[in-house]
Amino acid sequence: MPSTDVFTTITLQHYLVLSAALFMIGLTGVLLRRNVIVIMMCIELMLNAVNLSFIAFSKFSGRIDGQIMVFFVLTIAAAEAAVGLALIVCIFKRFREVNIRFFEHLKG
Amino acid sequence: MGQDIFEIVVNGLKLIVIFLLMVQAVPILVWVERRGSAFIQNRLGPNRVGPLGLLQLLADAVKFLTKEDMLPNQAVRFLFYAAPVTALIPGVIAYCAIPLGTPISIEAFEMFGRSWGPYVFPMQGFDIGVGIVFVLGVSSLAAYTILMAGWGSGNKFSLMGALRASAQMISYELALGLSIVGIIMLYGTFNLTEMINAQQGALTYSAFGHQLAIPALPNWGLFYQPLGFILFFAATFAEANRLPFDLAEGEAELVAGFHTEYGGFKMLMFFIGEYAHMMIACGLVVTFFFGGYLVPYMTPEQVQSWVATWASSPNAVSAWTSVIHLLSYFVKFAFFMWFFIWVRWTLPRFRYDQLMDLGWKTMLPWALANTILTALVVYFAHTIK
Amino acid sequence: MTADAFIFWFLSLITLGSALSVMLLANPVYSALSLVMTMVGISALFVTLGAYFIAGVQLIVYAGAVMVLFVMVLMLFDLRAELQAFSRGQISGALKLATVGALAGLIGGALLLSAGNVAEPSMAEAAKLPPDASKALGIVLFTRHIFGFEALGVLLLVIAIGTVALARAKGGTHAKH
Repeated sequence: MPSTDVFTTITLQHYLVLSAALFMIGLTGVLLRRNVIVIMMCIELMLNAVNLSFIAFSKFSGRIDGQIMVFFVLTIAAAEAAVGLALIVCIFKRFREVNIRFFEHLKG
Repeated sequence: MGQDIFEIVVNGLKLIVIFLLMVQAVPILVWVERRGSAFIQNRLGPNRVGPLGLLQLLADAVKFLTKEDMLPNQAVRFLFYAAPVTALIPGVIAYCAIPLGTPISIEAFEMFGRSWGPYVFPMQGFDIGVGIVFVLGVSSLAAYTILMAGWGSGNKFSLMGALRASAQMISYELALGLSIVGIIMLYGTFNLTEMINAQQGALTYSAFGHQLAIPALPNWGLFYQPLGFILFFAATFAEANRLPFDLAEGEAELVAGFHTEYGGFKMLMFFIGEYAHMMIACGLVVTFFFGGYLVPYMTPEQVQSWVATWASSPNAVSAWTSVIHLLSYFVKFAFFMWFFIWVRWTLPRFRYDQLMDLGWKTMLPWALANTILTALVVYFAHTIK
Repeated sequence: MTADAFIFWFLSLITLGSALSVMLLANPVYSALSLVMTMVGISALFVTLGAYFIAGVQLIVYAGAVMVLFVMVLMLFDLRAELQAFSRGQISGALKLATVGALAGLIGGALLLSAGNVAEPSMAEAAKLPPDASKALGIVLFTRHIFGFEALGVLLLVIAIGTVALARAKGGTHAKH
């Protein structure tokens, strides 16, 4: 009978795999989606995946610095969302469109 | 959740009881609100159904249940039905983290042929180390309910109301969060129970190694953070979307805001959600600034020794102590709930730009100033001897 | 199965499922609401890792503020289901998926290689963290990482000014006509 340890004992690897999977989903979204807002949301998803691995490392190495990094990432993500959304609102007001293809006409 | 099956069952039951208490309090609150508004406006209010009109809400609930279940043409079906259900969840979860009384301790006992315990059950849904951060985080999820309802209804008045309401909630969350930083620094903890324990006894200012006791006043946070109290209490009105900040449903402009399209029991769910927010606000105000469940001027030990003079077993002493504290909590809580209703029927509604000006240009700077001042005072008064 | 393992699998199922629906749902409003669910799930995962304060901050900042902004903007635009949610072009799409697959393979390989070589981080290490780490977090933040903290303050100031300038500029949301 194969060992079921991989299901019953949660290690650092579990969290890292989960975080990698989330990151991949975010990356696929950024590459494949066309709505600018959805692309930004997928970037947020990637940042979150990284946060998860930071916290997992912090927990399993017994050092608190990982949590500090998450703190920084959270702040930067909030700032990025503020500026990005302001830009998107401006662009939407001009082109009535959020599809990324239409942003080729940036000359106005 | 607990060590053995008994503790888990009791803790689970506690959550259910708190949820039912919150839901059951709503009819009473609506009755108080309607009778209270009538009293303020020199009317009678609902007084026909049952004694003093107390059964009016029961009749209303039956009426709500028998209404036709409508789905507007332009509505997004899933969001339209999901919004009222989710209206309740953040409020209830957040309220479970607020302590309501001293813990009940039960001594070891024999049952079903084995020994159980001893147990200590805190009088709250669950005790969290970072209580206040949790409460703020969970209750901030309520904005989605409003947005889902507003956009899902497919009605421009609903959408305008929802956008206004969520913009208002985000803006006032800043003032709300900053106004309690002073309290957090003062008590040096995020935990609500520890904050309450720091407010025991008579008012005692200690600074530079000296102590100034004022025995006429209880040791409440209000006397350390009066500005924080005013800012926090005002911001909670905006968070709960109550008058004078209920721009989300200004009926002169927006019909009824985000729940324009809702009727029957779905409407009632929004109602319960709104009252749940008021309850969280009142619970937090009482916890931060009015000593929580503490009986004024007395420490829990004094109450316990007084109970011990007439109660028989140690279990009964613990239980009665907890009940007395629970009553003390509910008296303070009821006063602030009445305050919410009182303000609603006394002050007129703000204009939207006035609301934003007040939040960003008045309350935020004052809250910042309060934070910095408190930091300086706490640092110097507690380090220099 | 222990309670810890059950909670982990449950939460990772929720998180992965809602993350997938962020990417796959054509209606951007549903995408945003799924992302909120993902944030809540990740915050719960932080709790399982003992980072209570960060979990609360995650709820307040991400779920409570950033995502509300996203949802508000989407609802303001009133975007229903899009016709071209995904980029067309089968070759470029295949290339993009291949890129993602390659990166996934790299990360997976790195994890597999490191699994045997790195000394298994034990629970003894994990126990070094205090149970309520908020105080330790504050102390480390304001001593060892004070420069990063100050730099973030400057960044936030710049961002605030930039956003206001953007809103006030010609064509911005609050432009003076």
